Amino acid sequence: MSIKIEIPSYLQPYTNNMEVVEVNGSTVGGCLNHLVKQFPGIEKMLFAKNGKLFGYVAIYINGEDAYPEELAKPVKDGDELDILYIIGGG
Amino acid sequence: MLTTDERKRYDRQIMIRGLGEDGQEKLKRAKVIIAGSGGLGSAASIYLVAAGVGTIRIVDHDRVELSNLNRQVLHWDNDIGRNKADSAAEKLSQLNQGVKIEAMDETINEANISRLVAGFDLIVDAMDNLPTRYLLNKAAIENNIPFVHGAVYGFEGRAMTIIPGKTACLRCVYRGLIPEEKFPVIGVTPAVIGCIQATEVIKYITGIGKLLTNRLLVYNGLNMKFREFKVKKDLNCEHCGHSTGKE
Repeated sequence: MSIKIEIPSYLQPYTNNMEVVEVNGSTVGGCLNHLVKQFPGIEKMLFAKNGKLFGYVAIYINGEDAYPEELAKPVKDGDELDILYIIGGG
Repeated sequence: MLTTDERKRYDRQIMIRGLGEDGQEKLKRAKVIIAGSGGLGSAASIYLVAAGVGTIRIVDHDRVELSNLNRQVLHWDNDIGRNKADSAAEKLSQLNQGVKIEAMDETINEANISRLVAGFDLIVDAMDNLPTRYLLNKAAIENNIPFVHGAVYGFEGRAMTIIPGKTACLRCVYRGLIPEEKFPVIGVTPAVIGCIQATEVIKYITGIGKLLTNRLLVYNGLNMKFREFKVKKDLNCEHCGHSTGKE
């Protein structure tokens, strides 16, 4: 299964500046684990020590908010995931 | 009623289908509070004052610094050291003498927020930190005042409009806090997002168009893309969960 994850600009330093990364997985959690496998440095930006996503990280599946229980949400071939970090600048 | 000068001044926008003199009168009667007079607040307030919103309250406790001037276009070299609300009010008053501009040199906190927003029709979130944004979001819901969110980082921006009791709120979408940090930004980004916020305010007041509700608009200036993300009201949201707003 091929899922595309769009990487926000502030996380691109952790993906060799790639804006889109292709991953495999049947759930959001599986896809993010595959992302981390390809780019281990990004793990600390997404996951807390308890394995949960940080509260300031939101996942969207095909443009829709995956909250709550994001990691367990199923995905299918061709789906697109977006990682949105909270931003607060003004 | 509009005066003869007001009809002339706002002639081009009164021509807009659906806005008309009726819409202009609504703008004249409206009271909008702009929380923050930085990059977002500068852009939003300039266009709301130009459009003839009757009363604008600007709240900002910060002093103008040299490093603000790349983006906070209401503050100029000679303003360094001045309170930002005062600095902004001076320029805005010159832009449109028909608008009542109130400068409030205060730090928004739990103790004063209800007083600051009381009697206002809309709140513009032009802050530079999440805790105060959340405070504003909560106050907007508690006081049943529509709230227009905007935020920037580098070349990226976000915007969303919240109608208390009806639509997803900021806390439905943003559930955590990020560590406070000096964020990168170039002036054109808050200019784009601040103008989107001003557009939402004008649409809400005049009752035209489709508001940016239940949609998070994400602007990427580097790729020049606008994307929309669907968001929904979280029934367990700590700010608006189970809230239907005041009728």
